Amino acid sequence: MPQMPEQNRSSERWSRLRVYLWQRPVMLALMTALAVLFFLLVTGLTRAYQAQRRSLGNRWYERGVADLNSQRFDAAVTDFRAALLYSRDNYNYQLNLAEALLGMNHTAEASVYLMNLWDRQPEDGLVNLELARITAQKGQAQQAIRHYHDAVYAAWPPQSEGLRQKARLELIDLLLRNNENQKAQAELIAMSENADDDPEQHRVLGDLFVRAGDYQHAFTEYRLSLKTDPRNAKALAGLGLAAYQLGRYPLAQQYLGEAMKSDPSDSASAERWKTTALILCMDPFRRQITMAERNRRVVEAFSTAGQRLEKCASSNGNGPRAGGQQPDLSQEWSSLKPQISVRGLQLNPDLTERAMDLVFRVERETSSSCGPPAGPDLALLLLSNLHEGNSF
Amino acid sequence: MSLDTDSRTEAVSDRRETGGAKQVPELAARSFWRLAFREDRFFIILSVFIGVFSGLAVVCFRYAIDWCRLYLLGTGVVLTPMRMLLAPTLAGLVIAVLVLHFFPATRGSGVNQTKAALYIYNGQIPFRTAIGKFITSALAIGSGHSLGPEDPSLQIGACLASVLGRQMRLSRDRMRLIAPVGAAAGLAAAFNAPISAVLFVIEEVIGRWTAGILGSVVLSAVSSVVVMRWFLGSEPLFRIPAVEMTQPSELLAYSVLGIVGGFAAAVFAGGIAALRPALKALPRWTQYLQPAMAGLLIGLIAALGAPQVMGAGYEYIDQAMHGQFTWQFLAILAGLKILATLLSFISGTPGGMFAPTLFIGAMLGASVGGAERLLFPHLTILPGAYALVGMGVLFAGFLRAPMTSVFMVLEVSGNYSIILPVIVANSLAYVISRTLQPTPIFDLLTRQDGLELPSMEELREEDILHVEDAMQSSNAPLLEAEDTLGKAVRSLDQSQVDYLFVRLSPSGWSTVRKEQILALATDDNADAKLSSLLPLKRVPYLHPDHSLETALRYLDRWPVVPVVSRADFSRLEGVVSQRAVLDRYREFGEG
Repeated sequence: MPQMPEQNRSSERWSRLRVYLWQRPVMLALMTALAVLFFLLVTGLTRAYQAQRRSLGNRWYERGVADLNSQRFDAAVTDFRAALLYSRDNYNYQLNLAEALLGMNHTAEASVYLMNLWDRQPEDGLVNLELARITAQKGQAQQAIRHYHDAVYAAWPPQSEGLRQKARLELIDLLLRNNENQKAQAELIAMSENADDDPEQHRVLGDLFVRAGDYQHAFTEYRLSLKTDPRNAKALAGLGLAAYQLGRYPLAQQYLGEAMKSDPSDSASAERWKTTALILCMDPFRRQITMAERNRRVVEAFSTAGQRLEKCASSNGNGPRAGGQQPDLSQEWSSLKPQISVRGLQLNPDLTERAMDLVFRVERETSSSCGPPAGPDLALLLLSNLHEGNSF
Repeated sequence: MSLDTDSRTEAVSDRRETGGAKQVPELAARSFWRLAFREDRFFIILSVFIGVFSGLAVVCFRYAIDWCRLYLLGTGVVLTPMRMLLAPTLAGLVIAVLVLHFFPATRGSGVNQTKAALYIYNGQIPFRTAIGKFITSALAIGSGHSLGPEDPSLQIGACLASVLGRQMRLSRDRMRLIAPVGAAAGLAAAFNAPISAVLFVIEEVIGRWTAGILGSVVLSAVSSVVVMRWFLGSEPLFRIPAVEMTQPSELLAYSVLGIVGGFAAAVFAGGIAALRPALKALPRWTQYLQPAMAGLLIGLIAALGAPQVMGAGYEYIDQAMHGQFTWQFLAILAGLKILATLLSFISGTPGGMFAPTLFIGAMLGASVGGAERLLFPHLTILPGAYALVGMGVLFAGFLRAPMTSVFMVLEVSGNYSIILPVIVANSLAYVISRTLQPTPIFDLLTRQDGLELPSMEELREEDILHVEDAMQSSNAPLLEAEDTLGKAVRSLDQSQVDYLFVRLSPSGWSTVRKEQILALATDDNADAKLSSLLPLKRVPYLHPDHSLETALRYLDRWPVVPVVSRADFSRLEGVVSQRAVLDRYREFGEG
């Protein structure tokens, strides 16, 4: 008899325990199943949501590109902003928005986007090019040079290779503006090595070499340009200038003359042509001239130098001096004057060298103390540079 | 502890009753299940599920808001005036009907409702509240009402947690705690910031740090963020620019931001305090029109040139951080957003105040930074840093959650170098706002709604009485356990009190009543030691820094409790009695 209540109590406890034990595990399993279902549902929703956002983003982006290509920067900015609503970190959207903002001259905002893009892809050529332009505009030359460098050496898509050239040209221009001629020359040489047969490109390179003071390379580039476009007035003028600067005056006269013919309004070339003509007819050391002609040129140069000394003395109040230990140039000129004549030079050919040495010293000295020379004085000064260090 | 004992006892008795060796594996399995699904452990597992469900719900909520925005306001950034005026107005009408007829518990932000669930309703929140909050808030935010998704997410999370807790038949104590667990999950997923969410719930909803709840709150927050990031990615709500403080003198510049932010927060909170009751007092039929009118006015502000005030406005916070507005326009936007949010909130439109607070803070911060840059060009002022600090400033000043405000900025920016400006500016804003608007916004709202929930700020700031405040110097003789009975009798004769303290060896205290001593006082016992004559029972002792509440636990059993030094337990600092404690409480109550 005492077994029965004990058994009842036990089975009652067991059933209570079973409820207690199994309820939570079952609920947990149900909850897991529900979570999986909910998860799948949200996955489906997410796909639909993302597809819609992608489509909206692309739609606004395409509109923006069309507006950007039509130079409607204001509309393009609005379009790209709308596109970015649907894909905030999309690289192309941001890049195009920055381009549109630059088109509107909103450089501050554009640079924020560009810096963000640069952080993500520091090797992007276009981003570096735009950042270089902005920083150059702000006068931050060194930073601009860094960005230009990165743009030049970035991996550009084949259809954008022109932009790399553009970046390099802008870099060279910036270097030249900042008087970093050697760096500019290095970039120019690298660029000329990769240049194709485009005469205009060679002409531009020639111009830049001229700005960098590298007339030899400029000469080569102009010649390459003229090879395919022989009547290009700018290239002819450039070649004339390069030859002029290199002291190759006969060639300079020839090309400058052709440049003047091609472009009669080119006054700089005309001026240089005149100086070149003067040089050629005043140079006593030119080959293929007679002794008499040489002596005549020496006498003329000596006389020109004397006049220059006089003019200089009257404008300054006193004559130029070569230095504390050097004899006064006027005195030297006056003491030599009686001996300088065609006959005197015939009798004493050694006087040619002394006379021309004095002439060159006078022209150099007066050019630094009395302002830049012109006409025959300029010709003599250029001759002095040409023959400097030569024994006559 | 008691459960462990019960299960052991039951297991042993079961084994005795069944007696068979076959039953052992079954019993072991049963014990395992019982241990594994014991309520405190099960609560931890449940917290993860709460996080998962809340995360999924918040993801859906985000989609719902975006879809509402797309279909109501359009897909572009330039909205047509017609849509700007009509969308929030018509949505306001629909929301009013839904709130007044179907989901009355969805009004407002949701933080107070969660607190009410914890303190009043034993964690019970009806499921329809989550449904209502989801629909009405998505409609409100998507149509351009100046509200945010964070607080509704918090309430949705709390509601889901409550539903799960009910299904799992949790005990009343656990049910009370389940709403904050869900709230943390919802907020963490909405804000993509689990630390800030946990801190906010602890700081503003629960109000105390206990190991039991902290683990669950953290687990739910983390799991909800993981789920949210699975679907929406881990990118933050706004792109954070590089921020740093280069010169210590910039702290002064940030202090100005703290001061301005403190005043702005006070104006914002003051506006709600003054206007909300006024609107609630209007006839009931006007409540059908209030959200619509608010929507119309917001649409008007937008159509007149400030569409940025519509919705949560995270994209504009992003733009402000990246210096895309002038400081004058930023200041105007901050002012207009205060106005727009006031309109939305006081009209009873469901939606949160987190996002508008951050928006106002960011605009104000970037504006102050921009103005300071003009005035002090030598300072390296970055608009992004000021916008970021500004968000923390408004958070501290308006929502009055100072700890959360600091960690939120750090978590969102992922940059520790900004901590000094954040602490300085937030503290200033908090102090100024507290001075100008003594009642925190959440407490203000609960009181306006006729509820009396514990104020976390008041709890934090509450003066606590200590034992030293009620302690009196002891007149009772002080003897050692090894002293003689004769010495005790002599001491009592010279004393006015009818008890003495006995210092026990090596430590501890006991009290002996006068009658006990006198009963033993015979000539034979005069030289006998007290410890050999009396059963010296240890009495509890207190330290001066103990709270008076602690003292009260002992004073009903011991009329006088010794107060001893923490450095030297054998040194009596004084005594505390029930009367002295009650007198001190009375004095405190009288102010």
